Amino acid sequence: MATMIPSIGEKRGKQIVYTIEECMSCGEKKKRAFTLGDYVYKKGGQCNKCSGSILITMIYAEPMKATQ
Amino acid sequence: MLPMQLGPGQFGDNTLYLLLFYLPFLLFLFYGQRIQAFMILGEVSRALGKLKIMRERSRKEVIDYLVNHLKPKSDPQEQVDQLLEYFTIMPVDLDPSGIVKKIEHVVTVRNDRIRSEIRRLAPETDLVKVSTAENILEAASSINYIYKLVRHFYLLGKRTSNIYILVQLQMIMPMILQEADALVNALEAFKLSQPIGDGIGPMVVGRMMLNHEKLDISKDTVMVKTEYKDRSLYLIKAVGPGGNVGEPGNAVERLINEMGVKINSVIMIDAALKLEGEKTGEVAEGVGAAIGGIGVDRFKIEEVATKMNIPLYAVVIKQSLIDAISVMRKEIAEAADKVTKIVYRLIEEKTQPHDNVLIVGVGNTLGVAQ
Repeated sequence: MATMIPSIGEKRGKQIVYTIEECMSCGEKKKRAFTLGDYVYKKGGQCNKCSGSILITMIYAEPMKATQ
Repeated sequence: MLPMQLGPGQFGDNTLYLLLFYLPFLLFLFYGQRIQAFMILGEVSRALGKLKIMRERSRKEVIDYLVNHLKPKSDPQEQVDQLLEYFTIMPVDLDPSGIVKKIEHVVTVRNDRIRSEIRRLAPETDLVKVSTAENILEAASSINYIYKLVRHFYLLGKRTSNIYILVQLQMIMPMILQEADALVNALEAFKLSQPIGDGIGPMVVGRMMLNHEKLDISKDTVMVKTEYKDRSLYLIKAVGPGGNVGEPGNAVERLINEMGVKINSVIMIDAALKLEGEKTGEVAEGVGAAIGGIGVDRFKIEEVATKMNIPLYAVVIKQSLIDAISVMRKEIAEAADKVTKIVYRLIEEKTQPHDNVLIVGVGNTLGVAQ
């Protein structure tokens, strides 16, 4: 019964999708708004601090309220 | 004062008051069910209206995506309508022996047909866009089917005045609406190629695959061989960042049966539908083949694991149905590090040096590369 009726979940309100970029050398993380063409593990530019290569490590949605 | 005078004993010989007092009782006695059916019909009709709006919206999203991204030479509307009505006849199960092979065959033909229809619209489009279009089409097709099924029972109940059909429909309607709503939400993620909650398994394995040479092991599925503390790790996931689930069953079968790799342990990482009350992003460990879908891949993995006596370990990330098909929530994305630690702990605890360990990241790898 439990497996037949799983949680459908709460209706989501307005969400903002963020892209998290991480420097592979110094571990510096940067959070920015998602832009079309972003995907997880996409290589993107150099780190401002150490010139190491930057990788998108996460893309996730957060409720709009939490960020305001 | 009037309400106090409404008891039957207060009426005296006034038959009009008597009639007014008993009329509602008589009305509900003889027509109660019809009144109830009328109210249920109204409620289901409103829900059906919402489903119709969702269906129209999803159809429009498919057409918009095809026109804007695949740039077909002709108007795709007619073809989209055909694809939305596309059906699959599952094999007969009167004699269930060998049915998995038949299901696999039918499902493969269906997937190939849909992909070829999309490619026919825009032959020069890259595979990522084609797989995204497939995902959008699949969601729109599901919404279309839900609408048609609800409409069928609504009209059947209305025509036959069968209150029992209508009551059942009314009872499950909130869940149907939530599910349809989840599919509409999924369209947004698919359209923008954003990772969905179901992609957490491929996300964990994708990170382990970074900077290693990838080998195509089965359709839309890649494998990487790497080392960890004197163990050989074989990592499998669907090819990203397109919206693929790959064929993990075939990949595992090929690795063990055809390539002859002696696997000592299999660790599967997948998203799992949570129960009400459980937290989103909660990580749980268990045993068995952690893989959903129609059952073909699970059957193949269980079959080969049983034959070769390979233990199957599962790590799942809990989430609701909406979370699984919508843009990945922060809680789910942040669970990736925890899952990775668990996987490495399992390798250290459950395997010996020089063992071969197979790690499979199960799920839709939309927006997740490797």
